[in-house]
Amino acid sequence: MITLNVNGQDHPVNVDPATPLLWVLRDTLQMTGTKYGCGIEICAACTVLVDGEAEKSCGMEVREAAGRRITTVEGLSPDRTHALQRAWIAEQVPQCGYCQSGMLMAAASLLSQNPHPTDAEIDSAMQNICVCGTYQRVRAAIHRAANG
Amino acid sequence: MTETIVSDTRPCAPPAEQADEPELTVRKAGLLDRRQFLATTGGLLLAFTLKGNVRAAYAAGPPIHIDPDYTGDPVSANINAWIRIGADESVTVLIGSAEMGQGAYSGLAQIAAEELKVDWQKVTALPCPSSMAWITGGSTSIRNNYQMFRMAGATAREMLIAAAARTWKVPASACHAVNGAVVNSRTNASLTYGRLARLAAMMPVPANPPLTASADFQLIGKPVPRIDLPSKTDGSAVYGIDVCLPGMVFAVIKNCPTLGGTLQSTPSVPPGASAVVPLDNAVAVVATNTWQAMQAADQLEVSWNIPSSAQNLTSSVILAQAQQLMATGTPVTAERQGDATSALNGAARVLNMTYTFPYLAHACMEVLNCTVQLTATTCDIWAPTQAPGWVQASVAALTGLAAGNINVHPTLLGGGLGRKIEQDYVVQAIRVAKAIGQPVKLTWSREEDMGHDQYRPMALVNVKAGLDSASNVVGWSNRIVSPSILFQRGWIPGGALDTQATEGATELPYALGGRLVEFVRHTATVPVGFWRSVGHSFNAFAVESAIDEIALATGADPLTLRRRLLAASLDPLAPRSLAVLNAAAALGGWGSALAPGHAQGLAFASSFGSLVAQVVEISQPAAGSLTVHKVACVIDCGSAINPDSIAAQMQGGIFHGLSAILWGQVNFTNGRASAHNFSNYRMLRMKEAPTVSVQIIQSGAPLGGVGEPGVPPIGPAVANAYARLTGQRIRTLPFFPGATMGGG
Repeated sequence: MITLNVNGQDHPVNVDPATPLLWVLRDTLQMTGTKYGCGIEICAACTVLVDGEAEKSCGMEVREAAGRRITTVEGLSPDRTHALQRAWIAEQVPQCGYCQSGMLMAAASLLSQNPHPTDAEIDSAMQNICVCGTYQRVRAAIHRAANG
Repeated sequence: MTETIVSDTRPCAPPAEQADEPELTVRKAGLLDRRQFLATTGGLLLAFTLKGNVRAAYAAGPPIHIDPDYTGDPVSANINAWIRIGADESVTVLIGSAEMGQGAYSGLAQIAAEELKVDWQKVTALPCPSSMAWITGGSTSIRNNYQMFRMAGATAREMLIAAAARTWKVPASACHAVNGAVVNSRTNASLTYGRLARLAAMMPVPANPPLTASADFQLIGKPVPRIDLPSKTDGSAVYGIDVCLPGMVFAVIKNCPTLGGTLQSTPSVPPGASAVVPLDNAVAVVATNTWQAMQAADQLEVSWNIPSSAQNLTSSVILAQAQQLMATGTPVTAERQGDATSALNGAARVLNMTYTFPYLAHACMEVLNCTVQLTATTCDIWAPTQAPGWVQASVAALTGLAAGNINVHPTLLGGGLGRKIEQDYVVQAIRVAKAIGQPVKLTWSREEDMGHDQYRPMALVNVKAGLDSASNVVGWSNRIVSPSILFQRGWIPGGALDTQATEGATELPYALGGRLVEFVRHTATVPVGFWRSVGHSFNAFAVESAIDEIALATGADPLTLRRRLLAASLDPLAPRSLAVLNAAAALGGWGSALAPGHAQGLAFASSFGSLVAQVVEISQPAAGSLTVHKVACVIDCGSAINPDSIAAQMQGGIFHGLSAILWGQVNFTNGRASAHNFSNYRMLRMKEAPTVSVQIIQSGAPLGGVGEPGVPPIGPAVANAYARLTGQRIRTLPFFPGATMGGG
């Protein structure tokens, strides 16, 4: 039995310890905001924060996540009031929305380390694939959130 | 911000309220052939049905050239618009279109809310449950339903006014609707819609409710916030892949890696799995979570029967066949104006240009998936689908259940792009549910999703342009060799024209002299399907590259040449096309001084009822690379419902098109697809994304689509800029074959 701390709550989970965190979040804990996109740590749709750092949850075995502080998009704020969530609405960022959980978590990690990133810093930090093509608005929303 | 309800299910709690009421009503409404109203407990529910609209929708564009007499869905009426007003003042618009990112839910709700006169913050949208023949494709959601949704809103408004008038015992003319209430014009008394809803449901349905004058619009034409976006920022939006049912098991698919191959024998159940289900050309592996099922499927040794014909499904063979067909195939005529052959024979000079296009994968961010709960008498099925009526037909065909006992729950789509109209993944999920007798979610891995797509067809396109001694274009001959999506499905016979393969090559607004457009069907059996902008995705590249090649060959400025070809044209779209082109040239600063090492390119395309021109600025930082800095995009889509959504669709179409032309390519070797994952199917990332500026021209022409028209011009605009920058003309896509990408 592994205990996962997700969004401030402990969850005992009984799974193969080699299971990627992504699938434990989605299938075991039924927290489906974190998305499967590629399974090989390229698209970043599965990005969550582990001890405040952006991690691709498809590439992290659940045993590595045990005892660490995991934040998913559901835990960004209780009521969509996180600066990034407000900025995402103000800039009307999502289209299909599927990659946006990962985008938001990557952006949250970026801003926690670099509260006022430049365009180049945003581009370098945000490796998430968005097939709808929301990049321009994501960039604008990160600036908006940074500027409060 | 509006609370958004965007799906009729939540993980592990298929809700009663959201699904049941509309479902019941759909079945009733299916029996109607005129507008009807239905009183429901505590509120007003208006259901609009119009016979004939299905047929009209089917005739308009892809995937709508689909059999117009399709009878798989026993309910022939198309439920276009429903409005539900609750006693709690809630306003729900039920939408018969898939929400796959293009903004259909919000846009259609916006149209109804305009006529209804309600606070946008109070409006929610829900998918119309299935039992109807709606199909989302061809960039038609808004343009085909605009009038219907206005009528729906206006009818409901007039019934609410009638209810208030009866309450106050005054004529309806003494009342008006404002902001979710009816106001007595004499006394200023008001009654909210929530209080009036029950009585309103009993009022006669007005035949011709007055529509709001466009000068008085409060919502239509305004960049109101999309109502589906809040749920997409906190993880609460439910896509098909998020559906979870009590007692559900998880299945993954292992398709035969070779196209055309079939299962030799059912393998034994591997460790970690609970079942293996044989499926003709695939097996499904069932386990207690998705990852376990994926692991078990990876380990599974499967014996397949591989047909010897698979060796023909090799890209070099397919291309050689295309070249042979180009030279000697029997063409079918798509368009003929004047005598192109004589014009070319008599021309002082003929430019002969052949363009080659690869198969493309859809690569929707949400992989294919479907969830099924089957009992002896009912089936509930959840799918990210562009065609819920077909999902219902698939269930009926495989289970024998009557349509009334099949509940299709359309979820949000994590991208559709044309792929999610197909039934392959749906049929597999139904068969697995039948075999194992448990609720099951079937998920395709990314590798299966890319390796077993129904690909954008490859194409070989030849253009011959005849010029007279003064460099005027006097003849144009365009032959397209490509597999036929419609033929593969049995929707057209072998010798017939596939208009989706030639769209974008025909109906050009330019004056090109004698014109001949021909199609030769390629017989390759790689499964092909509808990919955002379909035939326009390659034909616009060929046409607009060829126009540019004429300009370069004759020393003309590409903008000036296009202006000349439009000014001389009698085509009814020519004046609007010219206006769009001129606006794009102005927006993109065509011809202005550029940074050293930069070049501009432009292209124009008319598709799905809209006209789009784009001006790009590029540079080449190093050999074998390309940076697109800026794109100026102008669209004339008639008029704008939500300008911000249109801008988003133009941005998205441009980025999507860029990924495709720079890197997109699926090759086949003995029936096996090259694309495995994003690792060798590269997509644009933020750092590669240009700055896109969008201008919308509201010409007042009939509404055009916006989901697809942003895609076609970007490829040729970039190729045209590239030719000016480097002197190298790209006639074979992608620009950079063999591209890979890593985790970044």
